Amino acid sequence: MKVEVSNLKKYFGSTRAVDDVSFSFASGQVVGFVGPNGAGKTTTMRILATLDEPTAGQAFIDGVSVIEEPEIARNLVGYVPDSLPTHRDISVHEYLDFFARAYGLKGVKRRQTVDGIEEFTNLSGIRDKMLVTLSKGMKQRVTLARALLHDPPVLIMDEPAAGLDPRARIELRELLRVLSGQGKAILISSHILTELAEICHGAVIIEHGKILMAGGIADLLSDSVPRRTVLIRVLGRQEELHRELLQMPSIEAARFNGEEIAAEVSGTDDACAELLAALVARGYRVVEFKQQRANLEEIFMNVTKGVVQ
Amino acid sequence: MTAEAELHHSTQPKPKFAERFDDWLNPIVVKELRQAVQSRFVITALLVLLAIQIVAVAIYLITTSDISFSYDAGRTVFMILFGIMLALSMLFVPLYSGVRLAAERSETNLDLLFITTIKPRSIIFGKMLAAVVLTVMIFSACLPFLTFTYFLRGIDLPSMAVVLAIGFVSVTLSAQTLIFLACLPVGRAFKFMLGAFGFILMVIGYVSTMASAGGMLWEGVGSKIVGMDFWQWVGIITMNYGFQMGLLLVLSIALIKPVSANRALPVRLYLTAIWSLGGIAALLGSWIEATHDPVIYWQASFNIIFAASIFTAISERDWPGASVMRSLPESSGKRLLRFFLTSGSANGLAWTGLMIATTYGVCWIWWRLFPNISSLSELVGSTRWLTVMNLYLFCYALTAAFLRRHWLKRISSKWTWVICLLLVSLGSIAPFLIGLLVYMNDSDWWREDYGRWLIGNPFVWDVAAHRELYLSFGTFWVVLAIAFNLQWFLERVRGFQRIERMGSQPFSDLE
Repeated sequence: MKVEVSNLKKYFGSTRAVDDVSFSFASGQVVGFVGPNGAGKTTTMRILATLDEPTAGQAFIDGVSVIEEPEIARNLVGYVPDSLPTHRDISVHEYLDFFARAYGLKGVKRRQTVDGIEEFTNLSGIRDKMLVTLSKGMKQRVTLARALLHDPPVLIMDEPAAGLDPRARIELRELLRVLSGQGKAILISSHILTELAEICHGAVIIEHGKILMAGGIADLLSDSVPRRTVLIRVLGRQEELHRELLQMPSIEAARFNGEEIAAEVSGTDDACAELLAALVARGYRVVEFKQQRANLEEIFMNVTKGVVQ
Repeated sequence: MTAEAELHHSTQPKPKFAERFDDWLNPIVVKELRQAVQSRFVITALLVLLAIQIVAVAIYLITTSDISFSYDAGRTVFMILFGIMLALSMLFVPLYSGVRLAAERSETNLDLLFITTIKPRSIIFGKMLAAVVLTVMIFSACLPFLTFTYFLRGIDLPSMAVVLAIGFVSVTLSAQTLIFLACLPVGRAFKFMLGAFGFILMVIGYVSTMASAGGMLWEGVGSKIVGMDFWQWVGIITMNYGFQMGLLLVLSIALIKPVSANRALPVRLYLTAIWSLGGIAALLGSWIEATHDPVIYWQASFNIIFAASIFTAISERDWPGASVMRSLPESSGKRLLRFFLTSGSANGLAWTGLMIATTYGVCWIWWRLFPNISSLSELVGSTRWLTVMNLYLFCYALTAAFLRRHWLKRISSKWTWVICLLLVSLGSIAPFLIGLLVYMNDSDWWREDYGRWLIGNPFVWDVAAHRELYLSFGTFWVVLAIAFNLQWFLERVRGFQRIERMGSQPFSDLE
C-alpha cells in the first residue's frame, strides 16, 4: 500500500494554494505534514480525501486515482478534518452507527464494528451522550472513530491535536502509534512539531503551496541545519579551550557556563568529527562531546518564511 | 486492538428478518428520523401546531352561535385547520430538509458523508423520504381534528381525502425543491438569495394549494369521482407531480455527484424517457380528444427545459472524466449512443440540439397528419416560436463557448453560461438601441421597420412582419457558429474513445 502525490496543483483564481506538490509514503509510516497557516496543507489533504479536485496533477492510493476513481478511493481513506462534527440531536453511538451504515456495514458486523471502535477509541463510556455536549477532545475521538469504521489502510488527519489538553494529546499519540503498528499509512498535519517529531517517520514541509523539504525525520534533522551545536566538557583547561575554540575558523560561537562549553560548529557531522580529533590531538582530555540535535521546530523555522497567501 | 482488527473478518450468523429490514433501510432516513424524534424543534413545532388547531376550533365553535343550523360549518372548520396545517408543513418540512442539508454542506458534515461509500442517490432519496415521513407524521397528528369536521356537516369524506392529497403533494414538492436548491454548489450569499427565492416559491405554492383546495371543497368531490373528467384531472396532476419530483431528484443527485462522474447520464436519460412517454401520451391525447392542445403543452414544456439545458451544456467540463472514458463501450454504435448521454460540453450540446430538432420534427409531422383538428394554428405558432428561440439561444451558446475558449481562457468553463447570458442581453438590447438612436424621430421606423432592429432577440418571433429575416439571420448565424466550433466538436467526437487505466507515475519519495 502506497500513497503517491504527483505534481499536484490547486489554484483558486490567481492564488496557487498547492503548487506542484509531489511526495509519497507507505503502509506503517506516519508522515507529518507541516507548514504555516495557508500553506496548502488542508487543500492537499482534502484532495487526497476525494473532497476536492486538483487543477492539475495526480494522487494515487494503492494505484487508485483519487481524482478519477473517487468512489473506489473512498474505501481506502479515512479522513479526520480539522473541524469537528456539529450534528445536533444525535448521540455518539447513533452517529457512529449512521456512518457505519453509510460505509455499507450490515447487521451483526456493523454492531460489532461500532462497539469495537468505541472501545478502541475509549468512547464506550460516553456512547449515549449527545454530540453537542462533548468536549473538543471527545469530539476529536469521535471523528477519529468515524474515520476508522471501514478499517481504511490510509488515514488523513488534519490538525487532530489542535485544542487538545496534554493528556488527550498523549492519548492521541498512543492511538496513532497503535494504528501505525497495524500497518496504516498516516498523513498528519499539526502545529505541535515536537510531538510530531516523536511519532512521525517522515515529514513534508510545505509553504506557499510548495514543498520546501521532504524526507525521513532523521535525514531532515541532519540535512537541514548547516551548523551543529556541540557541548564539550574536558578535564581541566576549560577556559583555555574556550579561548582556543573562539579562534578556530570552523567555530561560529562558543559559550562557557563554568561547567561545559557550547560551541556552534559550522558545517555538518564531518566538521564535528574533525573538531573532536583536533581536541584530542591538542591533548585535551575530553570527557563529554555531545552534539545537540536540532528539532523539527528548528528545522521548520529555518526553512519557512512565514508567508501566508 | 487485535480484537478490533478481527472485527472486520469475523464470520457472521445468518441475519434475522428484523436485522435484514434494518440493513435495508436508507441510512439517511434512519439518521434524520432519529434526529427528528430527539429534536426539541420538531416536538415544539408539532405541539404548537396542535395547540393552534385546538384554539382555532374552540374559537370557531364559541363564536358561531347557530352552529347546529349551519350546513357548511364542517367545510369552514376543515379549511381553517387545513390552512394552518399546510402553512406549518410547507414552512417546516422543506426548511427542515433543505436548510439542514445546506447547513450540513457548509459545516463539512456532508463532506464526511460524501467520502463514505454511500451513493449520492441514497443521500437525496434518504433526505426526501425523511421529509415524506415527517409530512405523514404532521398530517397524522392533525387527522383527528380534520376528521372531527365531518360531524359538523358540509363536507364529504372524498373531498377531505382529495384535499389532503393535494396538500401532501404541495408539501413534498416544496421539500424536494428546497433540497434541490440546497444541492446547488454556491456561496453563502447566493444561498441566502436561493433561500429567499425558495420561500417565495413556497408562498406561491401555499396560495395556489389553498385556492385549489377551496375550489374542491366548495364544489364537492363526492359527486365528481364517478365522472371521467375527474380522473383525467387526477391523472394529469399525478403525472405532473411525478415528472417534477423525478426531475428535481435526478438534478439533485447529479449536483452532489463527484465532478469526475458522469453526472449528465441520469438527467439526460430521465429527460429522454419522460420526453418520449410524455410525447406518446400527448399524441394519444391529441388524437382521442381531436385537439392539438396536449401536443402544445408537451412541446412547450420540453422546449423550455431544452433552453435551460443549452446553458447547462456549455458550462459542463470540456472532456468527460477519465473514469467515464474508461467505462465507454468498445462498440462504436453503443459509443455513439453514449456520446449523447455523457457529461461534457460537446456531448450536452449534441443531445440538446438533437432533442430540439426531434421535438420540432414530431410536431411538424403531427400538424401535417392532422391539419383539421382544433388548435392547429396555436400548435404551429408556439412550436415555431419556441424552436426559433432555442435556435437563437443555441447560436449565443456556441458563440459564448467559442469566445471563452479563444479569448477568455482565464474564465473556467463552468461560467460559460454567464458569458452566454451577457451575450443574450447585449444581442437583445444593443441593435434596438442603435436603431432607436438613429431613427428616434422617424415615424416610419416605428410603424414598419423597428422590428428589423430586434434581430438579436431570441423572443422576437411574435413580431410577424419580419419572421423571414429572423429565420434567415438565425440560420446564417447557426451555420457560422457551428463552422467556428466544428473543429473543437470533432476533436471531442474523435477523442470519445475507451481508455485504459492510468498507472501511477514514478517520482522521488520519502522512502
